[in-house]
Amino acid sequence: MSSETATMTVANAPSHRASRLDRFLMQGGIVITFLVVAVVATALIEPRFLNRLNLLNVMRNFALLLIPSLAQMLVMTAGGFDLSVGAVVAATSVVTAAVMLVGNGYFPGMELAVIIASLVIALGVGALVGLVNAGLVSAFSLSPFMVTLAMMSVLMGIALYFTQGIPIYGVTDSFVANVGRGQFLGLPIVLWAALGVLAACIVMQRFTALGRHIYAVGSDQRSARLSGVATGRTLIAAYMLAGLLAALTGYLMTSRLGSGQSTIGGTLALETIAAAVIGGVSLRGGVGRAELVALAALFLSVIANAMNLVQVDSRYQTLVLGAVLIIALAIERLLLRKRQS
Amino acid sequence: MSMEAKTQPMAQLSGLSPRDVLRAARLPIAIVVVLILFGLVEPRVLSLGNFRNIALQASYLAIFAMAQTMVLLTRGFDLSLGYTVSLVSVAASMAMVAMGGGDASILYGVGAAALIAGAIGLANGVLIAGIGINPLVTTLGMANMVLAFASTISGGFPVTGLPKSLTAEFAQGSLLSIPMPIWIAALVFVLLFLVLKATRFGRSLYIIGANPRAAVAAGIRTVPVLVLAYVLCALLAALGALLLTARTGSGEPNLGGNLTLEAIAAAVVGGVRLARGEGGVGAAVLGALFVTVLSNGMNLVQIDGYLQQICLGVIIIVSLIVNRDEARR
Repeated sequence: MSSETATMTVANAPSHRASRLDRFLMQGGIVITFLVVAVVATALIEPRFLNRLNLLNVMRNFALLLIPSLAQMLVMTAGGFDLSVGAVVAATSVVTAAVMLVGNGYFPGMELAVIIASLVIALGVGALVGLVNAGLVSAFSLSPFMVTLAMMSVLMGIALYFTQGIPIYGVTDSFVANVGRGQFLGLPIVLWAALGVLAACIVMQRFTALGRHIYAVGSDQRSARLSGVATGRTLIAAYMLAGLLAALTGYLMTSRLGSGQSTIGGTLALETIAAAVIGGVSLRGGVGRAELVALAALFLSVIANAMNLVQVDSRYQTLVLGAVLIIALAIERLLLRKRQS
Repeated sequence: MSMEAKTQPMAQLSGLSPRDVLRAARLPIAIVVVLILFGLVEPRVLSLGNFRNIALQASYLAIFAMAQTMVLLTRGFDLSLGYTVSLVSVAASMAMVAMGGGDASILYGVGAAALIAGAIGLANGVLIAGIGINPLVTTLGMANMVLAFASTISGGFPVTGLPKSLTAEFAQGSLLSIPMPIWIAALVFVLLFLVLKATRFGRSLYIIGANPRAAVAAGIRTVPVLVLAYVLCALLAALGALLLTARTGSGEPNLGGNLTLEAIAAAVVGGVRLARGEGGVGAAVLGALFVTVLSNGMNLVQIDGYLQQICLGVIIIVSLIVNRDEARR
């Protein structure tokens, strides 16, 4: 309702001003407005928001949402969908902890090697999942939604079967201390990792052939193929990168939790899609920029933190998340429609 | 493949070749094969009592699969179906308890269920058809909003004290020695079959699914048709929710957790083609039967529940690949 009145006021304003406002809103203005409003409102309502410890907490949560959101963005700009992102996080968390548990048993005293080995194996699992997703989507031209939904069911089943839902302890202590709780230049390590991934994504989207191919395949697969883009290989690259990023998230989450958990990541599919969509990634593929997705992920992390600070029941937080997602999309659609008419 | 693709929209009109017959019989054959395979391991699978059990369980899933089919036909989705079931179960139970828990209170429960489901379906339909938001994301967002209500309105606890007759009539009751849920699922099937085949609304659903632009060009008012499809889907989910509530004898906030996936799986396994406007409620019922036979068999040979989840995923992918040939263009 409020979005309708908003567009109506816009329509009544002089046309050149309206179009400038439109352009601002279409090019990431929505997410910037959302973010600024959320930060200011939270800081006013709850000054504790600005405490150093709380801000560090927001940054950690932001980092662990940003990485899988970028994964979702990669797949969505390629014209797909990845509902399995949360399941990959859960599965790789279990794998990371299991490798550490076993590795420390066999090779005591080689902690660093085990920490690195578990990262490599977790990333391998993520890449494999991405490969299977992409293979099914591109080789059989199946619906990405259905394939990743089925993949989610399979991965959750595997993770829960091997752990029976019980956390795996025995994660290397120095891993938790140095990665999960570690800081560098006053900022959490996980944030540095996420910013590194963000920078890599921006560079890839702007300056590499793969980045351009992903946009091309996402906006029109047929034209992309006719223009000489190897569409199958591009899809595989996009899904595998997404799998790698989801695996990295699972690895980093394990370092924060100190145990491998098969039950994490349940709402991550929704959260990452919300971050991508609010960040302007088109559901039809071909459109999406990493930096705006990052702002959207930050916005979601801020409102989640705000709700925690004012002690909103965590069960209502999904309500807000769902509502924000739908409102953001409704605004986008109504703007688009107005523009077309 | 390409030849099939050309004839495909008119497939029902052309004569039946042996291949068509084989294709149509594929799923029934698969159901029998699965039954026999499990029967070899565990003879109880093939007992009369178990057949009755399978039919009973499949009737619940069939209702949800048929509900999902209504929107799948239009290139839509309803990811909020499972949590709608949870919310309706809790809310209808609370209404019945508030009205004294007597036999007459069942009517209030049904009324509450219809109101809530109608509102959810209407909201989905207006957002998707009216504003034009992607159905996946709309119903994903809606699912989380509905979940928030389902898990909080009763404080997260099951609602007990339902009328005894609810369970006695609608879960354990039977007519001509066939259990009530089977009758209700059969009635829903017949009604929806007629709606899809013989009404303007039903044909519009197929045309919108086959080609949304052509549907507009053909003068179909797509917005009301789509809104009605989502409302119908939600109302059918509510009917299934009431039947499940009757079976458990209490309002359960966790009732619908896996149902979204299972309903979509059943419809897809049955051959409802995503984003193509093909398939029907018959496919949904057969798919529900197949999924039920499989999970029943796995339960009886005592396969771990988590392994079953893996199987469900694999089956979805396999049936997507198997059903793909006919649809490829």
